[in-house]
Amino acid sequence: MSKPAMVERDLLVFSIWAVLGLGGLALLLEGFSRDSYLVSLAGTGALVAAFVAHMVVNAVFDCGFRPGEAALGISAFGALALAFIGGWAVGGLSLADYWSGLTLLATLAFGLPAYLATRYGLRGAFSRFHVRHTDDGKPAA
Amino acid sequence: MTGIAYSVWLPLFALLYGAVMLYWVRAAVNESTAGDGFFSASHALAPWISALVIAGASMSGWFVLGGSQQIAAQGFQMPALIVGGVLLALPGTLFFKRLWFVAERMRVSSQAEVFRVYYHSPFLVAASVAVALLFAIGFAGLQIRAISEFAELMTGGAVSRLTASVVLGFMLFAGAGIGGMRAIGYFGVVQTVLAFAAIVVLSGFALIWSGGFAALNSGLLELSATEGSAGLFSVSGVIRFTAGLGRGGELGEANTALANLSFAFALMGFQASPLVLKLVFSTRSPNGIAAGQTWVTAGFFGAIIAFCIALTGAAGLANPNLGLGGLLGALQTNSPWFAAWIFIGVAAGVQLLAGLALFAAGEGLIRHIYRPYFNSRLSKRGAITLTRIAIAVLALIAMVMENLTPVTLSALAALALPMAFQLWTPLLGVTWLSWITRPAAVTGVGFGFAGVLLTEPLGYQVLSFFGLELPWGRWPWTIHSALWGMAANVAAVLIISAITNRDALGAEAREVRMLFSGRLAMSDKAGTLSSTAWSVTLAWFFLAVGPGLIFGNAAFVAPGEAGPVWLLGMPSIWAWSLAGWISGVGLIWFLSYKMEMASPVHVAIPPYEPPLRLTRDKTAQEQERVRTLMLTGAIGFVLAVLLAFSFGG
Repeated sequence: MSKPAMVERDLLVFSIWAVLGLGGLALLLEGFSRDSYLVSLAGTGALVAAFVAHMVVNAVFDCGFRPGEAALGISAFGALALAFIGGWAVGGLSLADYWSGLTLLATLAFGLPAYLATRYGLRGAFSRFHVRHTDDGKPAA
Repeated sequence: MTGIAYSVWLPLFALLYGAVMLYWVRAAVNESTAGDGFFSASHALAPWISALVIAGASMSGWFVLGGSQQIAAQGFQMPALIVGGVLLALPGTLFFKRLWFVAERMRVSSQAEVFRVYYHSPFLVAASVAVALLFAIGFAGLQIRAISEFAELMTGGAVSRLTASVVLGFMLFAGAGIGGMRAIGYFGVVQTVLAFAAIVVLSGFALIWSGGFAALNSGLLELSATEGSAGLFSVSGVIRFTAGLGRGGELGEANTALANLSFAFALMGFQASPLVLKLVFSTRSPNGIAAGQTWVTAGFFGAIIAFCIALTGAAGLANPNLGLGGLLGALQTNSPWFAAWIFIGVAAGVQLLAGLALFAAGEGLIRHIYRPYFNSRLSKRGAITLTRIAIAVLALIAMVMENLTPVTLSALAALALPMAFQLWTPLLGVTWLSWITRPAAVTGVGFGFAGVLLTEPLGYQVLSFFGLELPWGRWPWTIHSALWGMAANVAAVLIISAITNRDALGAEAREVRMLFSGRLAMSDKAGTLSSTAWSVTLAWFFLAVGPGLIFGNAAFVAPGEAGPVWLLGMPSIWAWSLAGWISGVGLIWFLSYKMEMASPVHVAIPPYEPPLRLTRDKTAQEQERVRTLMLTGAIGFVLAVLLAFSFGG
């Protein structure tokens, strides 16, 4: 991908997350704060929309997630999961909070294999993790 | 949640915003090699980036701060605000395409340079730089002051206005000063979408807390029935022959149809300013101009003004607790994450405009004034360094004025749009009206600036300081200074063009004329539509922002048993303005595409090769200029002191 195209792709990604990502986060927090499952669900929806928009941009520019983006996404997912488990462990979650968190984590957890399957196909998605080595220790072609 | 949990969101979002800004500054700097592209992004910004950033700079921050507060305070007396998207887009439709080709042919990258190559006029160059300075210090400074006040409000005083303005000043320098035009273009995209999202979400909260659209309008209807409030929902006549604000004219009666029309002209100054033209000239192709002006600025952002900003203002009008300050304060208490997001969005819109203004002003001072007239041996790298220093100094001046001299800042801010509007005549001379001669353009702008100054507080206060009391105040006859200035401007241009030689042109101006009469000539099809274009444009101006607004006062009102009934469930003048916005988008589309004023063109324009001239050493001449400047300054200062001492108060 040429440098100007990469810049344009990055600008679109930043813009998507500035609107849908931050908006989704704000809605999620609003839902947790008000114990409203519906508001949290809207937040989850906004985050899913951000992922989908990000993937559309990737498809338009014929590229995948960058290593930094993948690392940031996985870290954010880990932090969310940790916060949810921590909240559950100390008993600070209401029923609405519990279901909101579970919905978000489940959506994100199912989203990853769904994305891999749509991008690489089922067999290809498996191969992203399972790297076969030949006898000489080098990855197979 | 705890107090800490509530107060952490604004700094957290601000940090995130700062980090993203630095990322794009770094990306811009890495892309520039040996300073190439600092001033014009190597003319390589994608058309969609420019379209979005032009729209964002044209309306985002200042419209939400100024527009919604004006509606909250004065109601719908100034419906020209509501069709602001169309008014902002119109000059770009008229000028951008042709100016882009002039810049491409002449290899220039700013408005001042266009004036220099076409008119060979140092006065017009200085006028362009002066307008950029007014935007950088006055117009943007005033908004940074407003946003700093909101920061103080939202943090409960933990972050003072002074601290907020200092932080914003540093961020402005980091964005515009280090990264240059490329960083402004790149980060401008993120700032624009943040600002757009903030305006939409803010209006959503205003609507929810007002109880919905029907409840909001029933509150407005109730307000209109109270004594003395009916005027908030109508335009008060066509014109009032008052001496102006501060000389007996009342603000409540000042919002006439002509006030609307002349204010509309002021709004049309923005896209004729050197700020926006910087973006246009940094774009790699003019083929996005029509779509950008029609669908992004007039359509999408016009809709945001007509609906979201009007809604936010209307909520504040119906319930003063839901004014902009009240809304942000309530959000900070109830939903600090939303408050932080919205605040950062509005601040991003303001920063986009302020960064662009500072950049255009800094570049103007160094590249268009200092380098050509006082130090022609200055290298490119030296010019970049000095421009960065100029941007830092301007940001510092703006910051000091925001905190110490808000009245002067406000007076300077009031000059920016009407003075930018005076640049229409030289721009028209370059692009469409080739009969405008150099002396006419120069005198016209001079007269225009004088007309604006004499009908704005800065001008008559300065004259008052020297002992000359003008018999009128601000905006006499309820006509905005933009129109007073343009009346003087047009009169001078017509008279002087009639009596001066129209063929006395420089080689570059002849090249420009050949370009427009050759490859870029209007097609026969568009030519046959020109009378239609004039008719629909004049009709639109008459009805949407001119005297026809009087019809809008009662167009959608019916008499009822318990008082007047709003047939569309909203104030008649608001509905009239919405119709004005929709028809205005049609007008912009017609002018852009059917009249081919901004439509895509696929022609290659080779750079103009000027005749070879011997380069002379200008050092002695430049030193003489410095001496003359200092002497003139000193004499001027002494004369000013003597005049003030003799006649002033």
